[in-house]
Amino acid sequence: MPSRKSVTPRRKRSTRPRRAARKPARRKKSRGFRWRYLFVGLALVAVGYVVYLDYTIRDQFEGKRWALPAKVYARALEIYPGKQLPAAQLVQELELLGYRENPGQLTPGSYQRRGNRLRFTTRAFQFWDGRERSRQLEAVFSDGVLTRLQDQHGAELSLLRLEPPAIGGIYPGHREERVLVRLLEVPPLLQQALVAVEDRAFYAHPGINPKAIARALVANLRAGRTVQGGSTLTQQLVKNFFLTNERSLWRKANEAVMALLLEWHYAKTEILEAYINEIYLGQDKQRAIHGFGLAAHYYFDKPLAALDAGEIATLVALARGPSYYHPERHPQRLRQRRNLVIDILEQDNGLDPARAQRARNQPLGIVRGKPGAISDYPAFMDLVRRQLREQYREADLTSEGLQIFTTLDPAIQRRAEQSLSRRITALDRQHGLDGGLQGAAVITSTSGGEVLALVGDRQARYAGFNRALEASRPIGSLIKPAVYLTALDRPQQYTLATPVEDAPITLEADNGTRWSPRNYSGESHGRIPLFRGLVNSYNQATVRLGMQLGFEPIADTLQRMGAPRSVPAYPSMLLGAVNFTPYEVAGMYQTLAAGGFRSPLRAIREVLGPGGEPLRRYPLNVEQTLNVDSVQLLHSALLEVPRSGTARALPAMLPAGQTVAGKTGTTDDLRDSWFAGFSGSHLGVVWLGRDDNGATGLTGASGAMRIWGDIFAELPGMPLEPPPNPGIEYHWFDSQSGLISRRDCPGAAYLAFIKGTAPQEKIDCAGGGVRDKMDSTLDWLKGWFQ
Amino acid sequence: MKSPGYYRQAGVLLFGVLLMACSATPDRTQSESDVEPESEAIAQVRPGAETSRPVLALLEQANNASRRGDLAVAESRLERALRIEPRNAVLWSYLAKLRLHQGQLDQAAGLAAKSNSLDRSQNYQLQADNWRIIAHARYHAGDSEGAKNAQQRATTLLQKQ
Repeated sequence: MPSRKSVTPRRKRSTRPRRAARKPARRKKSRGFRWRYLFVGLALVAVGYVVYLDYTIRDQFEGKRWALPAKVYARALEIYPGKQLPAAQLVQELELLGYRENPGQLTPGSYQRRGNRLRFTTRAFQFWDGRERSRQLEAVFSDGVLTRLQDQHGAELSLLRLEPPAIGGIYPGHREERVLVRLLEVPPLLQQALVAVEDRAFYAHPGINPKAIARALVANLRAGRTVQGGSTLTQQLVKNFFLTNERSLWRKANEAVMALLLEWHYAKTEILEAYINEIYLGQDKQRAIHGFGLAAHYYFDKPLAALDAGEIATLVALARGPSYYHPERHPQRLRQRRNLVIDILEQDNGLDPARAQRARNQPLGIVRGKPGAISDYPAFMDLVRRQLREQYREADLTSEGLQIFTTLDPAIQRRAEQSLSRRITALDRQHGLDGGLQGAAVITSTSGGEVLALVGDRQARYAGFNRALEASRPIGSLIKPAVYLTALDRPQQYTLATPVEDAPITLEADNGTRWSPRNYSGESHGRIPLFRGLVNSYNQATVRLGMQLGFEPIADTLQRMGAPRSVPAYPSMLLGAVNFTPYEVAGMYQTLAAGGFRSPLRAIREVLGPGGEPLRRYPLNVEQTLNVDSVQLLHSALLEVPRSGTARALPAMLPAGQTVAGKTGTTDDLRDSWFAGFSGSHLGVVWLGRDDNGATGLTGASGAMRIWGDIFAELPGMPLEPPPNPGIEYHWFDSQSGLISRRDCPGAAYLAFIKGTAPQEKIDCAGGGVRDKMDSTLDWLKGWFQ
Repeated sequence: MKSPGYYRQAGVLLFGVLLMACSATPDRTQSESDVEPESEAIAQVRPGAETSRPVLALLEQANNASRRGDLAVAESRLERALRIEPRNAVLWSYLAKLRLHQGQLDQAAGLAAKSNSLDRSQNYQLQADNWRIIAHARYHAGDSEGAKNAQQRATTLLQKQ
């Protein structure tokens, strides 16, 4: 290249004529320079462009390859003889796991039902603490109870843990759904079919296959249209990374360069794995079906590893063109293509003739998976994500392939969703709320604080505002148990029978404002036994009691129940002018339901690494934060709420013998309707209200309690029974006289007292009770003589 | 299928291993009046006759796991058993012992108290075990007075037997 130095001096010396004379020569030379510059420039641009393509394709590939979203499972159902489990419910669970009713062979993941007998073959599953192997079983049911469980050799099983249903994945922001699979998990037949059908020279070519391209070109020219593709699997993969309909030569050239680059950087197995996870296989409304893992769920409602030869061939056929071979629009076309795949596999000895023939004869067998089956539980998944974020970075959750085992009980979740949605629709109409009524529900296990169900919207599938976790609303009378528990913590001063005044009261705040709480009915009830203030939710009695106790001790009780924030010390706090979310309320009532032992609510049991190695357990933790005796006294009063208090309409909704305790909550102008209650095994909190905080026309009993009742009517569980406690005695108590009465006295409440603190005097059925008793005796006598 | 009696026998073995719990807890400097509560007598209670077969089966697995030294698996089995019988006081007590063994003293005390609150059969041995666990936890938390009281309650309960 000529140096500038040699040019510049000459220029300096030049004169006009000389310059004119030299012009042609100079032009020639400079044109040469320009060409060279142009060439060098183009080369640089080309190299730069290839570097850019290299960066782009590697970024895509690495991003996709390593982005293994966390996979989330519901609880694994444990079944055993003696469990309350109707056959229909087990079938529902099996279907959730993708089991099929199969009258022929009982292959893993299939079942047969005959009357009260259910035969099924489980799939093996690797839990963190051991492997459950695949077994063929027979379960016998009687009256809603699983009575016998046997394996195919007739051996009785005392316990079986089914696989946990997969309930979703944790995806990065753009929520692209995948069921990613490792090559090791991919059926070898699928790998063989892809290579045989799509790209025979896959293991030999450097990314592109010129021979195949030429062959395709000739075939297409002859036919006058595109009949054959010459793309390698690698090219198809690249094309999928930048999915577009553009079919220009430039695009093809780009894809070819990127295919070469991919092959240069990565092994064939890595490319095949990415292909299997990436390739476009169909469309479900707004959702693109990418990858064979998701496609297996979408088309056949089962995991990839469980597909048979015919199903594998169908998916390979679809890879060629999901809309050209659309299963519903062009079933015949798809079937022919599938059989072609089977033929090729047979020729390649991938399938023996008998198996190939069977596969050719079987129907396509497309059963669309449930829509959005990859995440049906947005509110619960939101909770899982929040709890995980306390320990994991977002990037780890969306890319490290973690396995998350949660506490969700899909059967209870379904029940809670249905009850909430049905009742809200009806209440909304009755009260003319124009679709504005909303709600949330939280169901937990009382002993372990496990979250079994969580609903955050009347349309449970809608992943929007999660009211269970985010709607922080005044809790109204739900706070009253904390006031009464504070009193019961002073057994020398208060028992459930201690007289308190339910009479008008006016309080003056420091700033001079006056506050005169009223009862819901507008009436005052005078002198009442303490428990009536709670059971009938009398505001005036509660405020008077609260003022005697002081704000601090009550706020302390709330903290020990598990309130996540301290409660401000002002009088209206005594009636629940303090905001909590339904989930936070559940956390506080959990401590009451568990007898004074606090367990932080848990949605996760274990987190496993991608290889199944345990990374973290979330163990059952309990801490005694409340006095066990005081809580037992409180339970006896809360059990009275459905018997004779504000939840009187509840027992009629529940099966006989299902004893529950609970509390209604209603806020000013009927804006919020709450119910929190528990049986011996489950706790539930339900909230109803409007997002704009407008009036709903609903009390706790006319709104939330109905939904709670619907849910608990179906929950198998234990009644709430007091544990024997030598320090506590139970008495039937007459509210009118304030004396101990008898079980058969009308209106008698069954209350707990710390030994030695119960009223000493007894009465033989007071007031109207005596007359009622006489009447019933007369009826009995009449019965004798008629 | 193995008989419930077999499982109960096997369940008892669980304690043999968990017994070591007490010797495994960290030492702390002792003054003369500050004597570590006895530990040898902890954990001799068998699962009650009303314990169901699936729970007994899980207890056997927990026992095997703890004998292998795999306490995480033993813990998981006990938690599964508790999901089936959440009011079985003996299960809560086993879990308390396991936590003691794992050195989680506060947790051990909480679980032992829970077990006591649920004991329906007035099983004094069980309650005494639980009080001993509480005594241990208090002792290692530096509350020697509380530990002594808990130990005293255990002794009184055993005398009732």
